[in-house]
Order: sequence, then C-alpha cells, then structure tokens
Amino acid sequence: MIEFTIDDKRIEAEPGETVLQAALRNGIEIPHFCYHPCLSIAGNCRICMVRVKGRPGFHPSCNMAATAGMEIENDCAEVTAVRKSILQFATLNHPADCPLCDKAGECRLQDYNFKYNGSPSPSVDPKRRQSKFYQINSRIMLDRERCILCSRCVRFTNEISGSGLLGIVERGSQSRIERLEQGGVEDAYSDNIVEICPVGALLSRDFLYKSRVWYLEPVTSVCPRCSRGCSVNVWRRQKNWQLRASGKEKNLMAYRISARKNPEINGHWLCSKGFDLHNLINDAPRALTPMVEGKPCSLDDAIAAAQRLILDTNKPAAIVSAWASNEELAAFKSAVSSWLTVYSGADQEPEADEVIEDQLLIKADKNPNRYSVEALFGKNSFAADAGHDLVLVWGDNIDYATLGSAKVIHLTTLEPKAGRAAEVLIPISTMFERTGHYTNFEGKVNRFEQVFEKPESVQHAGDVFGRL
Amino acid sequence: MTCERVFFTFEITEDSHLLPAYRKRGGYEALEKAIRGMQPAEVQAEVAASGMRGRGGAGFPTATKWSFLTKDAPVYYLCCNADEGEPGTFKDRWIFEHSPHLLIEGILLACYALNVRHSFIYIRGEFDLSYRRLMNALEEAREAGLLGQSILGSGFSCEIIVQQGAGAYVCGEESSMLSSIEGFKGYPRNKPPFPAVKGLYQAPTVINNVETLATLPWILTNGGAAYARIGSEKNTGTRLFGISGHVLRPGLYEQPTGYRLKELIYQDAGGIAGGKALKAVIPGGSSTPILTAEEIENLTLDIDSLAGAGSMLGSGGVIVIAEGTCMVRLLQVLTRFYAHESCGQCIPCREGTAWMNRIVTRILAGKGVAGDLERLEGITVGITGNTICALGAAASMPVASFLQKFKHEFAYFIEHGRSLNDGRLEVKL
Repeated sequence: MIEFTIDDKRIEAEPGETVLQAALRNGIEIPHFCYHPCLSIAGNCRICMVRVKGRPGFHPSCNMAATAGMEIENDCAEVTAVRKSILQFATLNHPADCPLCDKAGECRLQDYNFKYNGSPSPSVDPKRRQSKFYQINSRIMLDRERCILCSRCVRFTNEISGSGLLGIVERGSQSRIERLEQGGVEDAYSDNIVEICPVGALLSRDFLYKSRVWYLEPVTSVCPRCSRGCSVNVWRRQKNWQLRASGKEKNLMAYRISARKNPEINGHWLCSKGFDLHNLINDAPRALTPMVEGKPCSLDDAIAAAQRLILDTNKPAAIVSAWASNEELAAFKSAVSSWLTVYSGADQEPEADEVIEDQLLIKADKNPNRYSVEALFGKNSFAADAGHDLVLVWGDNIDYATLGSAKVIHLTTLEPKAGRAAEVLIPISTMFERTGHYTNFEGKVNRFEQVFEKPESVQHAGDVFGRL
Repeated sequence: MTCERVFFTFEITEDSHLLPAYRKRGGYEALEKAIRGMQPAEVQAEVAASGMRGRGGAGFPTATKWSFLTKDAPVYYLCCNADEGEPGTFKDRWIFEHSPHLLIEGILLACYALNVRHSFIYIRGEFDLSYRRLMNALEEAREAGLLGQSILGSGFSCEIIVQQGAGAYVCGEESSMLSSIEGFKGYPRNKPPFPAVKGLYQAPTVINNVETLATLPWILTNGGAAYARIGSEKNTGTRLFGISGHVLRPGLYEQPTGYRLKELIYQDAGGIAGGKALKAVIPGGSSTPILTAEEIENLTLDIDSLAGAGSMLGSGGVIVIAEGTCMVRLLQVLTRFYAHESCGQCIPCREGTAWMNRIVTRILAGKGVAGDLERLEGITVGITGNTICALGAAASMPVASFLQKFKHEFAYFIEHGRSLNDGRLEVKL
C-alpha cells in the first residue's frame, strides 16, 4: 500500500494506481473527461490537473502514478483557476445548447462548468459551426459542435469493441470525429459510446428527444437476452413526474436501458441488444387474459380447467422456462415437480442476423437462467415420442406442434403463436414486473428489481404453481 | 577571435558532399578510432567531457540525456530528429545538403556508444535535396562497408532507417516523432514515461538533433576537452546560427557559443537592410520570446544569457526585424502558423491557438475591440504549462512577449483600425 495525501486527507493507493484512480476509489472527486477506467490513458482533456507539493506547475492526475508521501493539492484556488481556463477552452466552440441536449442533467461538461467556471465565455467571436445530426451508424448520431474530442469513443471502438469504427481526422482545431472507412459500420457494442461520451456529442437515435433525464430514474435489472446476464438499468418515469392525463401509457414505459457497472459480469459495457431491451418491455405483444380452449375466461376458470386436466392425466410432463428466476424455479420444484417429468426449455433461440457469440459479452445461449434450470432439473429436452398426454409449458415462444398430441397448459408472458390453441392458457408476469435472481452461465447470481406493476389480469408464475 | 570550426571546414564544391571528398577531410576516422580502440563507455565519457548541450532547442546536456537510458534493456533505439520545422531555422538542412556523411558518422558513433543496432532519421518531408543527398550518402556508406553488418570488419553492426515526415511541425516534438515513426498519427505522448524509459516501440530511446549528432565526429577526433575549450564555460562548442529577416546577408553562420548577437547581425550578416534601425530580434526560432533592440545591446548567444534576458537560444534561428515593421502583422503570421500546426490532441492548445489567431487576425482586419489584449494574455496563461507537449507554450510565448513589449502598437491598431507603422514597408537591400 502506498500512502499519500490529497488536500491533507490521507489516502491509500494500490501499487500501480494513478492519483486519479486512488482519489476516485476513495470518494474524492477530481474532474475528468477523457479518463475512463477501462480505456487507455489519453491525457488530453487536461481538466484533472492537480498540484504536487515540491514540483513546479500542474500535472494531470490521470497519468501520475501515486508515490508514497506525495502531497497532492486538488482543491485550491490555483488548481481551480487552471480548470476554469480549461473549461473556457472546452466551451469556446461548444454551442452550450443544453436546453435541447439529451445529455443535459448527466453531462460532465455541464457539471464541471457549473462547479469550476460559472462565468460567461470571455470570447466575443462567433462560435464555429459544424455538422450536427451526423449519422455514425443506424443507432448513433454525432453532434460535432458539442464534441470536445476526449477520444473516449475512438479508444472504445479500438480497444474494447475492436470495430475501429471511429477515428479523429484532420489536425488542430479542424480535428473531428469521423467514421473511418476501414472500420465496419455496424458494431454490436456501439451504443456504449453514447454512454461514455462525457458531453452530448454522441446521441442515441432511439432516445433522441424522448425525455429529459431528470424525469427518469434507473432501476437495477438484468438483461435476459443471453446467458451472460449483464447488469442493466431500466429507466422509468419518476413517481413525482408521472403523467396524469395525456400520455398516461408513458408511466408504464421503459425509456431507455443503460449498462450498469458490474465488474464480475459485464464490466461497464452492454451490447446493442441489451440497449434495445426497452423495445421488448414496451412493444412485445403480451398475453393478458386467461383462456380455455382459445376462449377468454376468468383466472379461476382457467385454473379449474387446468386442475381437471391434471386429474385426468396418466403421464404428465413439464417444460421449464429458462427465463424464470431462481425463486420461481424453487417454487416450481417444491410445488409440482414431484408428480411430473421435467424438461428444460429454451424460450429464445438466436435470431437471424444477430451476433451469435463473441469474445466480449454476447453468448450463444439466448436465455438468462438456463444454468439454474439445468442445475435443478437436468438437461433433458422434451421429446414428443415419450408418450406424454399432458404438458405444462412454462415459457414463451413454444410451438405446440412440437409437443405432439399432448394436451397443453401454457404459462406465458407473450401472446401464443397462431394456430392450435392451448387447452389452458394462463398469462404470467415478465421479469420486469417482479423481483428475483438469475444465475448466469458462469454461475454468478445477479439480482433484478421490479420495474413496473404487473397488469391485474396477469399472475406471477410462482403463485400459480401452488394452485395446480 | 580565432575559432575552431566543426562544420564550416571545407569549401563547397560540386562533389564536396560525396564520400571521397568527406574521406579526404578525415571523414570516418573518428568512427574507425572509436570502433577499433575504444569501449562504448569511453565514447560516452568523451562526449560528457565535451559538455555539449543539445542543439534541438531545449539545450539539455547530451551526455546527461544519454545517461537517463534504462540500464540493461534488451534493445535501444536512437532517433535523429531532423524534422527541422521551427520557422527561422535552417541549420540541419545545410548538414544534409553539404555534409551528410558527417551526420551518418555521428549517428554511428552515438549508436556505438549507446549499444544501438537500429537508428532512425526522421527527416522533414519538405526536404527534397536533403533527402536525396542523405539517401545517396547512406548508399555510399553501405557500399564502403561503413553501414550495416559488421562495420569496418568489426563486430559492430548498425542500421540507419530513414523516415520522411509528412509536413507536420508537431512531429518535431520528440514523442510525436516516435508516434509518427511507428506509423501513427503524430500525436505527442503523455510523459511519463519518458522516451529514455519507453520510447520507440516501447524500447528505451535516445532522441538527438542533427547538429548534435553531427558534432560527435569532431569531438571524437579532437577530444571532448578540446571541444569544451571552445565557446563559453557552460555552453561549449560552436553553433550554427541561421539568420534571416531584414539583414543584408541572411544565411547560416557558424560561431562559437557566447558570440555577441550584435556582431552576428552587423558583421556576419552585414547589418540591417535598407539602412534601417533594428527594431527587434527573435533569437532562436519563431517560438522564442522576442527581444527589443535595447535588450540585445550586450547580449551574447548562449543558452544562459538568453534565458537571463527572458528569451531562449532555441534552435539558433535568429530572425531580425527592422524598424517600421508592423508587429501586429508579424504576430498574426506566427499565430496563424501555430493554429495551423497544433495537433489538436489536448484542449488548451487546440482551442487556444485557434482562438489567439482569431483575435489577432481580427485586430489586423481593423475589427479589434476593447478587451482583446487582456483576452490574449488570459489565453497565453491558460495554455502555458497545461498542455501535453511544448507546442502550446511555443505558441503562447511569442504572443505574450509581443504584447509585453509592443503593447502600444496593438492598442493603437485596436483604437484606430490601422497600423501604427507604415503598412507599405518595403525593406530594400
């Protein structure tokens, strides 16, 4: 351990840590634009400058190894003056169009400008005009006027996603972020650059002008779209800002998804499919009414019909959802698994033209909790020739034709596929309507919180099992 | 003053730059002497005894720079910085064009002293004749067994690889030169790590100026002590001074350090053109702070006395400015240059150089407003010391010194919308 002080506060740094890293880990704020813990040190924003006692001048703390006995001055008039002049340079050609910028409210430039600058620009010259709404790819837009060229996005596409999508071209004040020709246009991780952009230069086309961020709040969740189970934040409208009259449906809308830092599972990143999770939440056609033989009925009728089917059966089976939480699986095991044969199911198969698997995050298994299902019930998948006369299907996207002539009790969140109707259909809640845990392919358990209330006509699967 | 010459030792003829002529002048004898009879440490000791300070601009003692190299690294590199971009400087070009073998021998000596097997010359892209003569000289040296495998039949092998620049001033900064040699965009690197620890291709690297390296054969031939006797005590040896501007005989002059600046201007360069009075001198390339005529009265040309006068000896490119020159227009030339040459990597330099240029250009267009001068001063303070490399400081030093010494001219221009001086100045020879 290396001991040194920042503003007379004693700090311990790990060997090899920089002053900035040690400060951030100890809750001391040193402003920074270009530094990111997962990317190489660029040292180009110069806002993290601090003073070291005994050394002349100012030094960027992001590129200064902490050494024993170092005395750092972070909060003093001289350092603040340097930061102020850096911010004056950074905002010299920045349009300061915060009122119509999606980043406002979570923008580093805005925050630091309030804290360290706070005075109007000393410049009397007009600002430089550059292209706005420049399309980087189908998901991302670039506003060059707002860009401060911190190069985070360039380093991300070079070092993390490896697509080489972006680069800085030209020199001096002509420098600009450009989509490079040699880089692929599509990058399965490109949305991360919107998140790591410290200003509002890179914008998500999906979230563009959808909401001011201060109306929203993040809820911890887990991305269910592959067995990695990345931690995400689902952004919903805050209670205080719920809409009453027009646009009421927006209160139950997921506005956007962001990656939630989780060093054990996904680090800081998330793939495009994870960033699109809100489409699944908002737009997927939900099954909302219980049905018997394809006809809507009350929940009690549906359960009674299911009970009748179960009484009549000789050889019942169940297919367990790999989207179920650990708690539901435990409830299933104790309530019903004793009297039927249990198979594991796969709710989602890889879709056409999606990245199947890569080195960074994406896994080929597109279900979040197959690990727990297989740990509890084994790996058997359903075979139609096993002679089952009743199947309790728990999960989405099941084609009844694969079940042979067996009768079907279906617990699903989505509208079933057209064609043969299940004998009994009971709609259940999605993972965003309850709290639970998933175990990812490495056996790491990750918790998700309830984001929305479930619709009244829909049941939690765990509650249904006890009544069968 | 009688004095030794390191460079101007021969008459320039049609073939004086070729190997036979160089051999006749005693060329490659120092290399042979070193390789056959000296240990690398002895060569280093000789250079240390000479007390030579680097000729690139910063004036750092060469032997000390060498001593910073990480010990016991598997590979070392030497880079010769020949990206002579500083406006007003044209000394390296002379060496390339008239005595390229001097540089090659110097590089080989340095490589021998530092245990380097691959050295690089980063030559300015605009140098055409220089490049051709250098490549020809390398070819000659290779054929004569002076370069490549087993030089002069000894066990010492060394390669010299030439890399042409592409016209970026910032690539003369040592770390961005390394980036450029490696094939990346010429962005300066953050220090630490310094090149002596992690330089070219992550190996410890020494970077020396052309003139520095070309001096080594002389030092090895005549001894470091003999070199230390030339010039003043802390600034040994001779220097190539390129003098340009309003003088009768602009050109390159070799003089011992400690030579009087006035002598250089009035004797060597023949005085101010057109019989004008001297107004100001930029003593060491365009980025060094300007000095007025009064300030240079007794000034000698060495690193310490110029530092005492508040300027720098830099690369020895003296720019002489005659009376009647409009300082606003002159400064605009400089700010435009630095705004164009900033690499754009770090915020203060990228925005600051362009901003300064914008303000000075506006003043020159007669649209200056009150507060512009304070604004300029604020920008120079904001840039200096806050950038990754020295370009930011190089851009703000002339602005700060022009404003300090010729503020009345700027104030006049802002107030009246025209120059205090005659804008149609023509200095006739």
